[in-house]
Amino acid sequence: MTWLQQVIDRGQQIDDWLSPLRLQAIETLQQAAWPTRRTESWKYTSLAALEQQQLRLAQPATPPAEPPQTAIPGLNSLDLLFVNGVLQTDISQLPLAAGLQLHTLRSASAIQRVITTSMYAQVKPQRHLFGLVNDVLANEVLFIDIAHDSHIEQPIRIISRVSEGQESHHRVLVRVGDRATVTIIEQTQSEHASFSTGFTEIELGEQAKLEHYRLVMHTRQAIYFGGCHICLHDKAELNSTMLGYGSELSRTDIDIMHNGQHARAKLNAIYLLGESEHFDLHSTIEHAKPHGSTEENVRGIVGDKANAVFNGRIHIHRGAQKTQAALQNRNLLLSRRGQINTKPELEIYADDVQCAHGATVAEIAEEALYYLRTRGICRSKALIMLNFGFIQELINQMPNPLLAQWLEPQLRARFKEMEVR
Amino acid sequence: MLTIKNLHASVEQKNILNGLNLSIKQGEVHAIMGPNGAGKSTLGYVLSGRDGYQVTDGEVDFQGNNLLELDVEQRARHGLFLAFQYPVEIPGVSNMELMKESVNAVRQHRAETPLTAAEFLKKAKAACQQVQLPLEFLKRGINEGFSGGEKKRNEIMQMILLEPSLCILDESDSGLDVDALQIVANGVNSQRDGKRSFIVITHYQRLLDFIEPDFVHILANGKIVKTGDAALAKQIEKEGYAFLGLDNSAEASA
Ligand SMILES: Nc1ncnc2c1ncn2[C@@H]1O[C@H](COP(=O)(O)OP(=O)(O)O)[C@@H](O)[C@H]1O
Ligand SMILES: [Mg+2]
Repeated sequence: MTWLQQVIDRGQQIDDWLSPLRLQAIETLQQAAWPTRRTESWKYTSLAALEQQQLRLAQPATPPAEPPQTAIPGLNSLDLLFVNGVLQTDISQLPLAAGLQLHTLRSASAIQRVITTSMYAQVKPQRHLFGLVNDVLANEVLFIDIAHDSHIEQPIRIISRVSEGQESHHRVLVRVGDRATVTIIEQTQSEHASFSTGFTEIELGEQAKLEHYRLVMHTRQAIYFGGCHICLHDKAELNSTMLGYGSELSRTDIDIMHNGQHARAKLNAIYLLGESEHFDLHSTIEHAKPHGSTEENVRGIVGDKANAVFNGRIHIHRGAQKTQAALQNRNLLLSRRGQINTKPELEIYADDVQCAHGATVAEIAEEALYYLRTRGICRSKALIMLNFGFIQELINQMPNPLLAQWLEPQLRARFKEMEVR
Repeated sequence: MLTIKNLHASVEQKNILNGLNLSIKQGEVHAIMGPNGAGKSTLGYVLSGRDGYQVTDGEVDFQGNNLLELDVEQRARHGLFLAFQYPVEIPGVSNMELMKESVNAVRQHRAETPLTAAEFLKKAKAACQQVQLPLEFLKRGINEGFSGGEKKRNEIMQMILLEPSLCILDESDSGLDVDALQIVANGVNSQRDGKRSFIVITHYQRLLDFIEPDFVHILANGKIVKTGDAALAKQIEKEGYAFLGLDNSAEASA
């Protein structure tokens, strides 16, 4: 039986109020071809590790008692913890700010079920194979609903952890009402041989503002497929920072859709890869309406035998006049054995737009490295001083300084481990 | 302090140093002169441990350590300092960041406590003042957009801060006008304390009017071909290298 057939079989067994939507996804999956190296969007990412993995598709076991998630110092976030796809936080006990409502697959009222059904798999494009897998298998859905005009001060942090040999499939849906503002941090991690999918769909209402972070911190043997799909309405503003560590197999798809005029999107992404880690980021920005702007900065450092894939597509539809879009991908390759496959893609069907894109791959500046070493600075430290600056710039641009302070030493430590000559 | 015996070194399979001998005691100032392409900079690079400069024969003892076995950074921490002929520009790393790391790496090696920010700043200010480098140069990227003279002064500033035991100055005088030359020379002289040793590589005698050497060596074809005192430098200034039977054209075109 093929891997996909196992997913389909299991999905057909699930019986809950999302079943009609799961069946729709199954129908699409039944027509879908399994990606190979000849599939354009999977050209540089092999699924062999997934096909071969020992771990069988099985119902997640009862989550083991995990140590409590360490808080981010000073942040005082509203933390929602998933372990192996099961929500551990009792949302009925949370003190929620006015204008903020949470519900889940299990707790949803009749009306909340209607809202959920109207959004599930609606923002996320159908072309993402593992997004469909998540449609079928998601065993928990977290719905975050921000009422019109609400300003939610406390950052909402969604943490997903996956333990050894386990699977995790969770879904997050976010509706930010008109003129509302909120900060959402998504943090997903596993240091073990595990398999997880995590997809998030966000509707950003008129003039709404979202500060968003997506920290994909899976490492080692973890296999992960994720996506974040955001729809912007008139004058909505998105400021999103993504971080990627690499693992056995890690793939993230981001879609930002300008479905309203004068919307603004800023997306910064960082990846730091070492050993033989693999990390694949595909981003697609759709400008369907005029006067939108997108600024996307993707920067990565690849060491040892690691493998980075970046595909950044900007699609400006006919009629999306006065769009301003810029996409930059900068890479540093620390080792000759590492690989970076980067491809910016522009598709423009409007004539009055400003658009720029580019990708670079740099290597270590040996002369500068030597200079620093003649001043008594050790090689690994000198490498950080020379090369961390362009990553530091993106850390400094994170709107939340507490989060930046928490992340920076972790990224520096990771960078130190990455170079192997 | 430093004993070099029969040093042979090559770059890209090309022999540059061919049996160089040199012995330097504590507190001494040795000038090394020689035509362009003689291997003067190569000597500095080899002593600093630069990649690609291969030692094919010979020994170097630095204060009782086998210098050739140490990494670049370890040599620096043991007290070897090289002021470059062409200091590299490193935008993105400030002079300040470099020197803080650098001073504390050396201090750690000497089992001294790291400097506090205030202590460091005080020393850095004094060092900048000594070479008349405005303080805001500390905030700029290393050598970024510095003029030729500013780069040379920046090297001497670093040397003053690091308090090395052996300073190798590779043409720290080239491209400087007389005023700048004097500033560099004063910076160097301020560090002469009877213990610290210097190798002053220069093309011109005029630097030696300001920094008085104990010995003057002529380096040609990869070895020391003649050693004398300050008078030797004066003779070369007057007569060129011809009296040594060496090609003088390099000197003329420099
Ligand atoms: N990286 C290199 N590759 C090849 N040849 C080199 C390299 N560096 C120096 N050389 C050669 O070595 C010789 C000595 O150079 P150098 O030490 O810079 O001379 P000096 O400083 O005395 O003018 C020259 O012939 C020069 O061309
Ligand atoms: Mg030279």
